[in-house]
Amino acid sequence: MTFNVTEILEIPTGIGSITVENLVYFFVIILIGWAVARFVAINVRRALAERLAKNERELFVKLVYYVIILWAFVVALPQLNVDLSGLLVAGGIAGLVIAFASQSVVSNLVSGLFLMFEHPIKIGDNVNVAGVTGSVEDVRVLSTIVKTYDGLYVRIPNEEVFTSNITNYVHNAARRFEYQIGIRYQDDANKAIRIAKEVIETHPFALKSPAPSVFVDTFGDNRVNLTAYIWAPARNWWDVRTDLLWKIKQAFEENGIEIPLPQRTVVFADGLEVKSRAATEKEE
Amino acid sequence: MFGRYNCTFHREEGDILVETEQNGGLLTYRRRCEGKTFERLLVSKTGEFVINPVEPINLPSAITNFLLIEFSPMVIEPGGNQTVYLTFPVEIGVFLEAPKDIEVLDVFGPGTQKYTLYGPPTSGLIARWYRSAVSMEIPAVECFREGVMELSINNLSHEWVEVSRVVFDSTDMKIYYGDFVAAVATMRILSPTLAETDFIDAPLQPGMVKSVELHAARKIPVLNRGYLMEWGLS
Repeated sequence: MTFNVTEILEIPTGIGSITVENLVYFFVIILIGWAVARFVAINVRRALAERLAKNERELFVKLVYYVIILWAFVVALPQLNVDLSGLLVAGGIAGLVIAFASQSVVSNLVSGLFLMFEHPIKIGDNVNVAGVTGSVEDVRVLSTIVKTYDGLYVRIPNEEVFTSNITNYVHNAARRFEYQIGIRYQDDANKAIRIAKEVIETHPFALKSPAPSVFVDTFGDNRVNLTAYIWAPARNWWDVRTDLLWKIKQAFEENGIEIPLPQRTVVFADGLEVKSRAATEKEE
Repeated sequence: MFGRYNCTFHREEGDILVETEQNGGLLTYRRRCEGKTFERLLVSKTGEFVINPVEPINLPSAITNFLLIEFSPMVIEPGGNQTVYLTFPVEIGVFLEAPKDIEVLDVFGPGTQKYTLYGPPTSGLIARWYRSAVSMEIPAVECFREGVMELSINNLSHEWVEVSRVVFDSTDMKIYYGDFVAAVATMRILSPTLAETDFIDAPLQPGMVKSVELHAARKIPVLNRGYLMEWGLS
């Protein structure tokens, strides 16, 4: 039994005048387009690895990838006897229908484009967006992916990202955090301030400038409250915050300054009379 | 301590110990510096170790490329120029070199580090901070702790300018070593709040050896463009 390839390719598929050959060409062109897109995307990503920020790099790679896929699709369509000029008219009507049907998709798409131009967040930033706090994993065309600090995957539609308040914790180079530290009333507040400043000074990432500030803030029920304002690099502030507090507490203890326990002074209006049981029995 | 070593070696300078030890088919790299230790197992028969001073922006972790040196305020007359000697912190890099590749194995250094913000929090930058004395001749320094920077200050503006700090992009930093660690830099003052800084690729003294740069070992391409100090000079 022999196969004639030409005959097989000329077999009509039953869809218009499309033959098997047309279908094969269509899929081959799409396949080549996909392969070229992947090859180019991988190499563009590699070439820009050290030259562009991850955010811009991924955006550019995606753009290149989809442009090549689209190009392959446009090149392949005539194999299915699709007249692209006819598509323009049909596309206009279909566009209207699709536009109504996909309002939210378009809204998300446009919001996504605005987000990419405005750059309020970048991949890797620690943010609070639409009530979700975590680090940005990806800024896609339709949605933004945030990984919460619990490790959860949260997909937020770009429209929601664009219209909600965005807090980017690492947008600025440095940020400030504060401690409230209580000491006993009998402790020397000036000494405590000096010790706290010395401890802060020893930490590499507690910034030299803006200088840290430690001062007596309020007089509490049981304690004198010191407040410390410390500036740290925005991307390291949490490490500095968790590291320093215990060191300050240890330094206070080494110098005889204690964190006070709750205490209350009770004053009796008529004084406090203490009687022993023996004296009471004697009186009786 | 600085130089090239083959396979096993042992170098000890004060508080710093760097050594390798052959252990069966493996090579153990060991470093101790002021009580902190680091150890790695290596599989290498032909690799060379290169130990030299590197850009001082890696400890305790690399968070910036910038180095800010603060010194006693100097007031410079319009058009004036002066060469002074400052000191900068030294960090020591250990590289593994093969004929076609070089990798960073370890970066360490004695002393403490401090960082600062240059400029406002919204648009400024984080920089490694270092306090230096100003000398008119090459100061005596502890080789593994401090390096000497020859800084040529040129006031191109028409005003008296007070200078008490200089900020560098350390990816441009060219470090040389010999009896001490050295770098040569320039500061061109454009206005009382604006200056250009840059490093010059030249040894401070004849015979000094050029260090392998970290960004070169990490294959990070950089443009030698200097740095524009736009957030004030004091």
